Amino acid sequence: MTQGGFDEFWDGLDRDLADVDLGLSLEAEGFYSQPEWTVYRMSYNSTDGHRLFAWLSVPHDIAGENTPVLVRMPDYSSVHDIIYTPLRQSAIVMNPTYRGQRNSDALFQASYPGLLTAGLPTGGTPTEDTPTIGIDRHQDYIMRQVFGDALRAVDAVVGQSEFDLGRFVLTGSGLGGSLALAVAARRSVVEAVAADTPLALGHPALIEGNPPYPAAELVDYLRLYPDRSQAVASATEPLNPLLMAPMIRVPVLLSLGSRDRGQCPIAVGEELASLLPQCDLRVYDGASEGGGHEHVQVRGAWLRERLGLG
Amino acid sequence: MATKEDLEKFETQVARPADFEEFWQDVLAQVAKIPLEPKISPDSFRSNEDALVSLATFQSLDGLEVATWYCVPAKGEGPFPAIIHLPGYKGEPSIRRDWGAKGVVHLMVSVRGKLRSNSQFNPGYPGLLTHGIESRDTYGYRGVIADCVRGVDFLLSRPEVDSQRIYACGSSQGGGLTLITSALRSEIKGGVSGYPFLCCFPESMKMLRSYPYDELSCYARAYPERVPQMMETLSYYDAVNFVGLIKCPMVVGIAMDDEVCPPETSYAAYKGLGGPKELWLFPNSGHGNAHDYPAKETQWLESQISASLTLGVSR
Repeated sequence: MTQGGFDEFWDGLDRDLADVDLGLSLEAEGFYSQPEWTVYRMSYNSTDGHRLFAWLSVPHDIAGENTPVLVRMPDYSSVHDIIYTPLRQSAIVMNPTYRGQRNSDALFQASYPGLLTAGLPTGGTPTEDTPTIGIDRHQDYIMRQVFGDALRAVDAVVGQSEFDLGRFVLTGSGLGGSLALAVAARRSVVEAVAADTPLALGHPALIEGNPPYPAAELVDYLRLYPDRSQAVASATEPLNPLLMAPMIRVPVLLSLGSRDRGQCPIAVGEELASLLPQCDLRVYDGASEGGGHEHVQVRGAWLRERLGLG
Repeated sequence: MATKEDLEKFETQVARPADFEEFWQDVLAQVAKIPLEPKISPDSFRSNEDALVSLATFQSLDGLEVATWYCVPAKGEGPFPAIIHLPGYKGEPSIRRDWGAKGVVHLMVSVRGKLRSNSQFNPGYPGLLTHGIESRDTYGYRGVIADCVRGVDFLLSRPEVDSQRIYACGSSQGGGLTLITSALRSEIKGGVSGYPFLCCFPESMKMLRSYPYDELSCYARAYPERVPQMMETLSYYDAVNFVGLIKCPMVVGIAMDDEVCPPETSYAAYKGLGGPKELWLFPNSGHGNAHDYPAKETQWLESQISASLTLGVSR
């Protein structure tokens, strides 16, 4: 992919987002709020008429004083967690969703497996007339819009006026890791990123061999439509985290697991690390997606430091 | 991180209601009256050289249609041994074609509330753990457990399944449901319960501040006057009250630094198991992330299946 084509893809996505009014709403959620923090249901608009949902948690003791912000990007799943990180005691924490996930699914319900090839029928025998949407045309590909929804989440929390924001850090695992990296490449407000085994969508190595889901979705697709491999490559290529890496100028904590086959193969992750200007790479022998329990501790300490929570 | 001593010292306050078995026999009787009405829709998109994948559905309690991913070995002649795989709280039911390559049928149940099974029942996540908790007869898990039981019925209805070799597994909520379903259905010949959820509700909701157990704490804070009734309901659904009924071999896997399902509560379930049992402790591991767990689960199930062949259990 040419640099010009890559830039046009992302600039075009940002233009699409800029054309949509944010339409932000914040509603306190009494049931899940606790004595130390208030939980909000947050809603905002994204492209194509999608209304997106996020959980937002705001601590009571330091709210209103440049409170640090942690955004946990959603993984490949129909549900994104309500916020439960211990960091909610001291930081504003946002768990945004993308279109198709629960509470952001009024217009489109994603399938799992199925998100990466959304639009294809999942039953019956495909024929030449089998309709597809998206994956053959990167402007329409569902994952372009999913990445746009991640950008929109950061725009939404930055655009709200209820709370003064301090240090701004992103985290995510799998697809969430890739979303976090992409947003860091496109939004200067981001000061650090912790990405666990980021989904290497768009990298050819992701679909080599017999990977598990979600990568297997693309393998399934190409088994039935081998003549469309070039179309799949061109649709996914702009989302390749390796192409975004040189633009991410902030510190990145990157974890890889030696048994992770469906998200970020080790060789791809190491190449990604070499392209990131400030990368702290952690490789865990025997771990799969996320890097395992040891990395949970490492990431927690790293995030605290980056958020200025000591 | 918990120590083995911590686990052994722990005593749960959970008491089994006097009419516990009667209650569940009644639920099972209600389930048994419902025509199964299985429907199998082959999915050529997901099928490969290892497994023929279908989206299979059946009827369950309250007139709900429950969806499953059903993988049958692409090669060989049945009847095949089978695994019923029970899902976690919010995770996606997976398609396990790898079992097809081993000559094993795999059924992944998408219990009510999950994708493809949520048109009539959709409390959300969070939400499921407190849905209908005002009564044992309205609690959402009554239907969830019925859906798991119904999954066993589905396997028993299939000519390609060896009814004498059905095994169960699952992690987190799936681990709790593995224990409960194995207690209610003696057709299950063995199971692996990883990081089991649904154990020792009164203690679990106090020991941690993470979801899903925190949903119970939120409910208790919002409706303090309803707490006695909530605890009464939960006592009918606590896995530790089921485990004494399990007679088949069962493994419980526990992460000693589990931040979602306290290891002590999982151990209480292990301690109460009524049949042959095995304990896997994973130090320096948290919820769902013990490095060796997936391989151990596969190896144990394979060994049980192989042993059943050697013993001539197959029909």
